[in-house]
Amino acid sequence: MDREDQTHFGFRDVPLVDKQTLVNDVFHSVAQRYDLMNDLMSGGLHRVWKDVLITALNPPRSDAPFSLLDVAGGTGDIAFRAAKAAGHGFQTTVCDINPDMLAVGRERAIKTHLDHQVSFVEGNAEALAFADRSFDAYTIAFGIRNVPRIDAALREAFRVLKPGGRLLCLEFSTVDVPGLDKIYDLFSFKVIPPLGRTVTGDADSYQYLVESIRNFPKPNAFADMIRDAGFARVTWQALSGGIVALHSGWRL
Amino acid sequence: MTPPPSDRPEDTVDPKLLEILVCPVTKGPLEFDGKRQELISRSARLAYPIRDGIPIMLPEEARKIE
Repeated sequence: MDREDQTHFGFRDVPLVDKQTLVNDVFHSVAQRYDLMNDLMSGGLHRVWKDVLITALNPPRSDAPFSLLDVAGGTGDIAFRAAKAAGHGFQTTVCDINPDMLAVGRERAIKTHLDHQVSFVEGNAEALAFADRSFDAYTIAFGIRNVPRIDAALREAFRVLKPGGRLLCLEFSTVDVPGLDKIYDLFSFKVIPPLGRTVTGDADSYQYLVESIRNFPKPNAFADMIRDAGFARVTWQALSGGIVALHSGWRL
Repeated sequence: MTPPPSDRPEDTVDPKLLEILVCPVTKGPLEFDGKRQELISRSARLAYPIRDGIPIMLPEEARKIE
């Protein structure tokens, strides 16, 4: 097979078409306990990282209209946090390729009476079903790593943003603190897969998780990819010693 | 304070969402068929289903139309 049709699935090289199927299986199997697993794996730190994202997003607290597209956020975690920080003019559309994650999100939206501010769409980040220049902001938290063609997803993000709109991408990154990198490796490969097996009954999905993190581009290289998609004023900040990075870019 | 109740039943799609949805393949307009709960893309000849109020905007999940 032509090498251009290959992508990474963790440490395995797999055809691009298979990657989506394999990633779907991961999330089918863990949807119900996804947020619990996030708490256990990160020691609650994922909440801090998401708060940093919401602070950067800075949605208006007034009734001024503001529309957010949150991609790969099926369980609604980012959407609800943003809605709570924002005023009445705030609208979020959550787009995820996985119906199980979306079902969890929609149920939560109805339960918390946020369903008038949060809508759900099943869709592919590489081929979004939204008109050009529809949104004031585009967020993706721990999702871009799982997209087979990251460049296509970034171009779509640019397309659906209004001029003046902002991309914010939260993703696992590269630990750059001596000592912490060793501990992080040990934790990732020795603790997370067995923990995943205990909590979700699925060690393979979490083995994929830790491998895919190692394969994701370094923060500078990822910033270049964001620029290549057309974004300006691209910046990034490392969080928790580089375990996570928040990238930002503007459509000008 | 109690949040305002939703003004739509749980299994219908948000009208504000319908305004910005396009066909993911052609980026062309969609027609909403409320009876069949489908979003029809004439340009791609595909009908995207709406299940439990969630539009499924994936060509592989869509019904081919003549």
